[in-house]
Parts: sequence; structure tokens; C-alpha cells
Amino acid sequence: MAFPQGLNDFSLAGKAGLVIGAEHPAGRVAAATLAEAGARLMIASQEPATDERMQEAVKAAQAAGAKAAPIIRVQNANIRADVRATIDEAVKRLGGLDVMVTVLDAPYYAPAEAGDDTIFDRVIESNLKSVWIACQEGGRAMRQRGGSIVVVSSVLAERGVPGASLYCAAKGGVANLVRALALEWARQNIRINLLEAGWMAEERSPALADDEFAANLLKYLPYKRLVQPDELAGVLLYLVSPASGFVTGEAIAIDGGLLCRV
Amino acid sequence: MVADNLKLDGKLAIITGAGRGLGRAMAVRLAGAGADIVAAARTVEQLEETAAEVRKLGRKCLVVPTDVSRSAAVNAMVAAAVKEFGKVDVLMNNAGAGEDAFGKTIDQISDEEWRRGIDLNLSSQFYGCRAVIPHMLKRKRGKIINVASGYGLRGGKHNYIYACSKGAVLQLTRSMALTYADYNIQTNCIVPGIFPHNERLMAFFKGGKFIPMGRGGQDADLGPLAIFLSSEASNHINGALIKIDGGGLAGGITPTGIAPRQTA
Repeated sequence: MAFPQGLNDFSLAGKAGLVIGAEHPAGRVAAATLAEAGARLMIASQEPATDERMQEAVKAAQAAGAKAAPIIRVQNANIRADVRATIDEAVKRLGGLDVMVTVLDAPYYAPAEAGDDTIFDRVIESNLKSVWIACQEGGRAMRQRGGSIVVVSSVLAERGVPGASLYCAAKGGVANLVRALALEWARQNIRINLLEAGWMAEERSPALADDEFAANLLKYLPYKRLVQPDELAGVLLYLVSPASGFVTGEAIAIDGGLLCRV
Repeated sequence: MVADNLKLDGKLAIITGAGRGLGRAMAVRLAGAGADIVAAARTVEQLEETAAEVRKLGRKCLVVPTDVSRSAAVNAMVAAAVKEFGKVDVLMNNAGAGEDAFGKTIDQISDEEWRRGIDLNLSSQFYGCRAVIPHMLKRKRGKIINVASGYGLRGGKHNYIYACSKGAVLQLTRSMALTYADYNIQTNCIVPGIFPHNERLMAFFKGGKFIPMGRGGQDADLGPLAIFLSSEASNHINGALIKIDGGGLAGGITPTGIAPRQTA
């Protein structure tokens, strides 16, 4: 779909895009958004055994006007060789890499005393190390001609949440990883920014549980409702496209104003 | 579809400080995305130049000479917009000043100068918010965009009026955002970094060499963000302070562009 004249800055026509974590709702939205904006597209999952959801992402991208079916690659995003092979393949088949969106997320909620060192490694690996690997490998692929990376994360990056110490630590780590990489790559024309989703309406979210937390959370939210995955599309497009050409190391929350609260 | 949500066809946007610089650039870009414009500022000749550019794009433009530091003038500006267009979809509180006081020591700033600066940069935005809210509440929709500055988040030597007023603009944004979230009225803040739009500022900021991306902001950089925040594509973004600064505010605890020695 061609963008109208006044919105040209948001177009990704002629660009190559990769979404890692396309089995997540936000990843599916990213795939559709990149496709709509005209990017050639490859999608990858965070972990194996996600075929059905990856097919949903493919359908979403095609419904949004993908010129060709996205190339699918299932991988384990915690394993460097997997991610490197994925990115090499994207570069080869799409003719480079201009845009990368990562949706690498494995929620973990439990009191601190319930965790052990194995759990620490697992939570940090799937939420932080995976982002580090993707950014390092993606950044390498972008070194030649520059590019834009968007790391999808959560408002948990900005505030503490009881019963979520490890998850908060990982998300906070991701946020500062993005800031530091932004400074390191600023003069290489690689921009990297963070998207911080508020409490989302997605499967297994504690915000959808039938309990006291979920009931009280809904009342607490400025909009009194959860964020729908589709509502991330606008920010995603702003951040991946030349529209945000002077923006790097920034975090934009889609939370209805939640982070403004005392 | 995202592209449809970004379009501003049929929307009416008021922009203060629209006679030059960033304000004019944003007015023209919003018009380019389909919005009709109410251009406000003190100098009517400059506003007419902005209006000519907007009309060239096939959009309407109402010129309303306005001293935003006077609440009666801001009320009249909003009334004129409502009279002409029947509504206000977007208010962009962009007008500001105070850079003139950069470099003055604290004892060199008179009471009058302080109040004048606060009135121009902060009270003006408060007046604007107060004036449009009844109209937006009636329609249960609206977008307010306040323009602050990186100096609203960080301090600067001999930078009192500007930093204080812009810092307060962030708080105005947050309180508006929470208060009117229930009414589908989003209030957000654009936080520009260094935009040296004249020779003096360009020299002051040494051409942008202290900015991570190695350049200062240009008028054109702000347009897409203004469009995005004016559009339905940003309906779940509220109370956000969106920086557009070449990376400056992501750092700040080391000099730009120099890394510590690599750990052995």
C-alpha cells in the first residue's frame, strides 16, 4: 500500500525488515505494520514449537498488504548461532537489513524467595540475553548502511512490581542496554529505541487472571482497560521508519498514561 | 490500517508560535497530512506566510494574532477557532521564549523578567489547556501536545527561566493526561533536544558536536512526530514525554562520543 504524500516519512518502501518474536501478539502486529509500510519481510520466533502462531503472523502480514509471503524462521533466540543464522539469512534473502523489531519476552512472576539461581539464569536469558544477542547481531548486519532497531518491552522497565523482581531486573536491563547501544551507534547511523507496552490483553497475562490483582489493576489503569496489541502499531511505525530519524535511545510507553501516576 | 489512522483529514489543529521556526514547520506538516490549521502568534506578517504555505497544500488556515502570555488572548484564540471550524481536534502549545535569558546569572534576572518568562513558556500552555478542555470534553475527543525541551528534564548553568518553565510543562502534561484519560483526550509532550534554529544558538551549541548523532535537530525532524501525536494512531499514548534529541538524553554522565578504556 502506498502511503499518501504527507505521510511519506513513515514509509518503508524498498526496505528490508526482520521481526524476531513474531509469535507474540506484539510481534504479529509488528509484522503487519512493517508489511503495510512496504517492507520486504522475514519473521522469526523466539522459540521452537510456535508454528501455529507464526502462521497467524504470516496471515496478518498478508492481510496488511505484504507483497510476498514473509520468510519464516523458527529459532531459539537464546542461542547465538541460531540468531546469527537467522540474521544472515535475512540479509541474504532480503538484500540487507534496514529494520529489526524484537519482541523477546518470557514473563516470570514469583516472590523473590521462590526463585533460585537456575530461575535467575532462565529469566535473564530469555528476557535480556536474547535481546543482547539480537541487537548485537542485528547491529552488525546494519553497520554498512545504517538501520533502525525497535526493542519491544514493557512499562515494567520503568517501575518496580512486587512479585516480579527478576522480570523487572531483566526489563530494566533491556532499557539501559538500549540507551547505551544508542550512544555507541549514534554516529554509525544505527538508531535503537524502546517501545514500552502497558499491561496488555494477551494470553497468560496476570492482568487477565480471575483474581484480586487483575480486578484492582483494571480500576487503576487510566483508561480502565488493557492495551490491545493493535494499539502498538503507530509507535512501531514511527520508530522503525525515517519519521523518527533524529530519535535514538528513547523509550516510548503505550500505557494510557500509567507511568504518570504517583 | 496504520496509514489510515495517521491521516488528519478533516481535523482542526491550533498551533501557537506558528509564525516561524518549529511552529511553522509543524503547522505545514499537519496540513500536509490533511489538517486545517489555526495559526497563532504575535506577528501577523509571519502568520500570513505560514497561512500561505498551508493554503498551498489545499487546507484552510485561520490566522489569529495572539499574545499567548495573556489568558484573555488565548481564550479568544480558541473561541475564534471554534467559531470558524466548530471544534478543536488538536491544540499544539508550541509558543515559547526565554532563551534570551540563557547565560544571565541569578542576580541579573529581575522579578519582571522571571514572571515574563514563566508567563510565556508555562502560563501560556496552561491557558491553552484550560481554554480547549470544555470543547474537547463536549466531543469526548481531543489531542493536546505541549512542546517542552530537554532542559525540562536536565539542568543547565545559568538556565533558570527556561529550565523551570519547561520542567513544569512536563508536569502540566502528566496531570492533564491522568485527569482526562477517561474522556478520550490525550495530552502528550514533545521534548526537543538541541534545535539551533539561528546562528547564535548554532555557535552556542558548537554545531551539534556534543549531540550523539553529531548534528542538531532541524525543523523537518519534528513534523512526523507532530502528525503521529495528532492522529488516531497515538490514541493509547497519553502523558508521554517523547524526546527527539539525537540521543542526547539517553546519556549525559560522560562526555559525548568518548568511551571509557576497555576493561582488560
